[in-house]
Amino acid sequence: MATLGLRAPHCNSQRPPRLPVGKMVARGRKRAAQDSEQGIPSPPGYSAIPIKFSEKQRASHYLYVREHRVREGTKSSWPQKRTLFILNVPPYCTQESLARLLSPCGLVQSVELQEKPDLADRPKEPKSKFFDPTPVPGFQVAYVVFQKPGGVSAALALKGPLLVSTDSHPVKSGIHNWISSYADSVPDPEALRAEVDTFMEAYDKRIAEEEAKAKEEEGIPDEEGWVKVTRRGRRPVLPRTEAASLRVLERERRKRARKELLNFYAWQHRETKMEHLAQLRKKFEEDKQRIELMRAQRKFRPY
Amino acid sequence: MGPAPAGVQHRGAAGESEVMELALEDTCKEGKKESSKKCTLAGSPVDGLLQPVKLSQAELYKEPTNEELNRLRETESLFHSSLLRLQVEELLKEVRLPEKKKARIDAFLREVHQRVLKVPSTPKTELTDQTWLPAGVRVPLHQVPYTVKGSFCFLPPAQVTVVGSYLLGTCVRPDINVDMAVTMPREILQDKDGLNQRYFRKRALYLAHLAHHLGQDPLFGSVHFSYTNGCHLKPSLLLRPHGKNERLVTVRLHPCPPPDFFRPCRLLPSKNNVRSAWYRGQSPPGDGSPEPPTPHYNTWVLQDMTLESHVQLLSTVLGSASGLKDGVALLKVWLRQRELDKGLGGFSGFLVSMLVAFLVSTRKIHTTMSGYQVLRSGLQFLATTDLTVNGISLCLSSDPSLPALADFHQAFSVVFLDSSGYLNLCADVTASTYHQVQHEARLSMALLDSRADDGFQFLLMTPKPMIRAFDHVLHLHPLSRLQAACHRLKLWPELQDLGGDYVSAALGSLTTLLEQGLGSRLHLLAHTRPPVLEWDISQDPPKHRDSGTLTLGLLLRPEGLTSVLELGPEANQPEAAEFRQFWGSRSELRRFQDGAIREAVVWEAASMAQKRLIPHQVVTHLLALHADIPDTCVHYVGGLLDALIQSPKETSSTGEEALAAAVRCYDDLSRLLWGLEGLPLTVSAVQGAHPVLRYTEVFPPTPVRPAYSFHEHSRERASLLPRPDKPCPAYVEPMTVVCHLEGSGQWPQDAEAIRRVRAAFQLRLAELLTQQHGLQCRATAMHTDVLKDGFVFRIRVAYQREPQILREMRSPEGMISLRDTPASLRLERDTRQLPLLTSALHGLQQQHPAFSGVARLAKRWVRAQLLDEGLTDESLDLVVAALFLHPEPFTPPSSPQVGFLRFLLLISTFDWKNNPLIVNLNSELTVEEQVEIRSGFLATRTQLPVMVILTPQDRKNSVWTQDGPSPQILQQLVVLAAEALPVLEKQLMDPRGPGDIRTVFRPPLDMYDVLIRLSPRHIPRHRQAVDSPAASFCRGLLSKPGPSSLMPVLGYDPPQLYLAQLREAFGDLALFFYDQHGGDVIGVLWKPTSFQPQPFKASNTKGHMVVSQGGELVMVPNVEAILEDFAILGEGLVQSVEARSERWTV
Repeated sequence: MATLGLRAPHCNSQRPPRLPVGKMVARGRKRAAQDSEQGIPSPPGYSAIPIKFSEKQRASHYLYVREHRVREGTKSSWPQKRTLFILNVPPYCTQESLARLLSPCGLVQSVELQEKPDLADRPKEPKSKFFDPTPVPGFQVAYVVFQKPGGVSAALALKGPLLVSTDSHPVKSGIHNWISSYADSVPDPEALRAEVDTFMEAYDKRIAEEEAKAKEEEGIPDEEGWVKVTRRGRRPVLPRTEAASLRVLERERRKRARKELLNFYAWQHRETKMEHLAQLRKKFEEDKQRIELMRAQRKFRPY
Repeated sequence: MGPAPAGVQHRGAAGESEVMELALEDTCKEGKKESSKKCTLAGSPVDGLLQPVKLSQAELYKEPTNEELNRLRETESLFHSSLLRLQVEELLKEVRLPEKKKARIDAFLREVHQRVLKVPSTPKTELTDQTWLPAGVRVPLHQVPYTVKGSFCFLPPAQVTVVGSYLLGTCVRPDINVDMAVTMPREILQDKDGLNQRYFRKRALYLAHLAHHLGQDPLFGSVHFSYTNGCHLKPSLLLRPHGKNERLVTVRLHPCPPPDFFRPCRLLPSKNNVRSAWYRGQSPPGDGSPEPPTPHYNTWVLQDMTLESHVQLLSTVLGSASGLKDGVALLKVWLRQRELDKGLGGFSGFLVSMLVAFLVSTRKIHTTMSGYQVLRSGLQFLATTDLTVNGISLCLSSDPSLPALADFHQAFSVVFLDSSGYLNLCADVTASTYHQVQHEARLSMALLDSRADDGFQFLLMTPKPMIRAFDHVLHLHPLSRLQAACHRLKLWPELQDLGGDYVSAALGSLTTLLEQGLGSRLHLLAHTRPPVLEWDISQDPPKHRDSGTLTLGLLLRPEGLTSVLELGPEANQPEAAEFRQFWGSRSELRRFQDGAIREAVVWEAASMAQKRLIPHQVVTHLLALHADIPDTCVHYVGGLLDALIQSPKETSSTGEEALAAAVRCYDDLSRLLWGLEGLPLTVSAVQGAHPVLRYTEVFPPTPVRPAYSFHEHSRERASLLPRPDKPCPAYVEPMTVVCHLEGSGQWPQDAEAIRRVRAAFQLRLAELLTQQHGLQCRATAMHTDVLKDGFVFRIRVAYQREPQILREMRSPEGMISLRDTPASLRLERDTRQLPLLTSALHGLQQQHPAFSGVARLAKRWVRAQLLDEGLTDESLDLVVAALFLHPEPFTPPSSPQVGFLRFLLLISTFDWKNNPLIVNLNSELTVEEQVEIRSGFLATRTQLPVMVILTPQDRKNSVWTQDGPSPQILQQLVVLAAEALPVLEKQLMDPRGPGDIRTVFRPPLDMYDVLIRLSPRHIPRHRQAVDSPAASFCRGLLSKPGPSSLMPVLGYDPPQLYLAQLREAFGDLALFFYDQHGGDVIGVLWKPTSFQPQPFKASNTKGHMVVSQGGELVMVPNVEAILEDFAILGEGLVQSVEARSERWTV
């Protein structure tokens, strides 16, 4: 019953039919056979490379890789021809291990892991270790830049399966991973202080420059003769915010409402009465609807 | 739960029809009325969601008809609101007997009438000679003592008439009973039949003969005996039609004497009609002491004589006034929902009808009133009049020969005389029952006066079973023990009067005894009435002890609960002896600080949980002392659920004390912060923002004393780190405290810069606390952790204007506008709303000491069901707060047990789709504001989360449920609560003991597709599990305080870290369920929708693989690899991954 309750919303969508266990296994075998004959199916333009955590695993994930290309004219932060674009990087696969796995194809210049593929080219702000906590990794995408274009083509031809963690290069996971990230999260106050200080110095400098510039421009007309009025002038003006303009409008409205005459003419009387009646009617309709709903839910059975 | 596609289509259709009609309206005016009807029909809420009403201008502003104006006016004057009027009308429609059935019943009654008159007569025999009775039928009466004078013969009845509510048209469904009075012919009765139960014996024999003959008739589906209103001397015969009509009606035959057969003056409450010599078999007492009066016995005889006159009275009063009939029906429903109308001494529908008749005669009710007004006046009268002190009478004559009201008060606890002036209609009603009626009436009046929106629902539609309404409940079982109690309490006259019904005889004395003993702890004591049993005519009547158990309900007074002392009179006062006698050996002489020497009783109770259970001690002590009822017969149900919120080591307390200790430590810390010197800006406010600081953390924190050898050290940062080769260290969750600084113009106006300045403050704070107070501190960019007396606090510096700065957006024209962003909302929530909520709930705890217990039980249960995701601490706390702030129709709970039951009730019955749960903290919202909030809610329903909880500080957005629960999780919660409630109630109401109380806390695991079993070694809170584990691990804590100067491991909980990884990586494919309080299994449920093969998309390849299906390349989840990922990600923590179903296909 509980199960039904939770799955109720999906009931009318087509649920995949259950398969008996035996069939499952058979299907698995068939696919394995197919793999060896025709290679692993991959989407057009991509090639698939199986990847496993270590020797022990039987099933593997597939990296879908292709050369990083952008349309003519758009700028990309990744160099053309030398960049490999990888989809579906498993969560336990780190930058270092990816670099290591791809190094047989050619010298790797850089590896960047991201949550989503880059769509637009936006400037990347330097991340602070203290203020931008590292997110929990899920499945990611990667941009691998090789030193030479040959690396990309070599990577596209990789057969795999790649092993993320080997005896020579073990990768931490589970308890060991959590303990080391806990240790990393214990901050060094001095480093933090140093970062804050450098940032604030730069910030203060910038603000001071801006202010100096504003002061210079103060009261000096531009080429068309306009004078810029700022908050810092001798006679401060209203700040240009939405709240302030709304306040002014509201004050105006209230002033007008005060002057208006209500229930003065006979037609006004009539209209207020009618308005009241309309309100009652509306309420009545609403109530009727609620009753209808309650009746549908059998809410009137006191037993 | 989510909007079903069918509903969407329907809505679309409704919109279309409206457009069409609008077009029609312009062309022809005639069709308007019809079309509007269609419009409402089409707009009827099919998917259970209220739609905003759309009425055309023409509809709203058309000329009103006379009829419409009248109706509107009537609604305004006779009812509260049009909604209430409609609701009442619907309810009456539901409980009324439909005309169709009435015709069928009438036909059946005519048949019964004929058959009864045709029963053959028998020859005259002695009363003690019952050999003439055929074998298939037993006398429906306990004939003790058996010998009695007189003779009996059966003659067909002189008259058979229908009496009671069926005739008046006030009977309510579901059980339709028709009462028929069967007048026995005068020849059967003899002169002195009023004496020594002779009349009752003849009545029973008469019924037995009738039963035998009617039982052979094929017309009847079943022929049973029962007791009239539970009275053991007065059986009645129940007849039900044959075949599919069996549930249609029950006809009850009541034999009665011919009118004026007994002289009323012989049946006054002061008269004796059961002689001791006969009843007890003793010779009459020689010392000339008078025979004890038998008021109840006399009343039962009188009742039989007045059946018809009462019906006549009622039919003249109610006859043509439909409003009065409606009112009586409503009152009956009201009583029925409160379980007050059944059994011996219940406040039956007949009594209510008579009460309405009384109110009409005193002009408190007018015949033109509406049903709602009658209900209201009836409740008003019950709430304000105490019939135990000032009885009322329907009798108008001032004949001096009539008995005085005072005589009745002496014999009965509740007095309401009928029109003859001889019969007390409330003779069997006990004082407790009447007080319960009064209490309920008062609550209902308060509810009606508060003009709440849901008044109708609470008043007439919500059942109030004893276990949900009372804080503590106790069962007396087995009942035969009460026989001994009657002897101990010397209740022989009562037994003689009641014909040996020892349960009823003892009830009055027991309730008075307990009421006196519980004194200021008690608000109200109620008892169940023995149920009205039915039995086959071939069986002996059930014994008194067969009526199950006697259950008492205690409504406690929270302010009286805290004292452990029962203060008696001074030792030299004469009352002292009385006090000693009442309390027995528990009473001791004590010398008090003011020098007085007094008798006193002191109960042992150290913790709040034990103090709440002092009534248990009082009850068992008094019952054993005065009534000889040993504690093995008293099953006290009050603290059974406490075990679930006790911390693993502490079994005498439910944690209130530990929470208070943490709060005290927080108070100390806030004082230190206030007085801190050397900060550039002084501290202006310190506010708690953690469940501990509002007393709702399920397992309160204990001071930590970490063992160094157990941990890795980080000397330069003065911190301890977990070690991979040891079990996971104890879980320490820092308590968040928000620290506001005084305002200043020096803050930068840039979001990034503000963060840096705040970080500087955090560093400075840590430095100063270490320098000035020697506290171990650790600062990060966002907060400063402080170790104080073993508790760890996480101080967050907040800048008031920061959320506003995050909201600022500059339009291209240079206009600055404020728009909510996720970051600003989060900051606003954490630094402003959370502290406000915490302080409001902290205040609530001071008002209602049971709040903490209820909130923690509720959270314990929700988490035990593995439903943690999406149900935040705060939202659950607010739901529980609603139980205390809006307890209607109950009173605020005073024990965790009853509070938890009501939590389950609220969760399982609340209509989250169409209502916001408004939690009026500090009563800041007026009724008008609440109405406004509701209408605002309806207008924006689709943009709001599925579960909407609004408070005075948060009137629109429902901050705490924004991120969840999802519709599925909420639905699951509702289903589980609806299943748990009856199971738990049944356990608690079982007089033989509750069995395993943890049953409802164990989650169903069979619904999950994959179970991930975790190793207890790395679950730091493993001992908090519902079923306490057998083996436990060392968590690196010292039992004695050591030289603590290093920061313990904070917030390190491997299962939570694991869950976060799982949800991040596989959240699109599956749901993960886990109990954070020591759960050792994670339930995984695949999302069926994500298993549909999908075309390849670069943005959505997470964990999928490409396969060719029918020549096409599609993506499906790579389930085999994912199952192995579960084990890889949780290496060391995961014991096994069990795939339990093959629900995926490729």
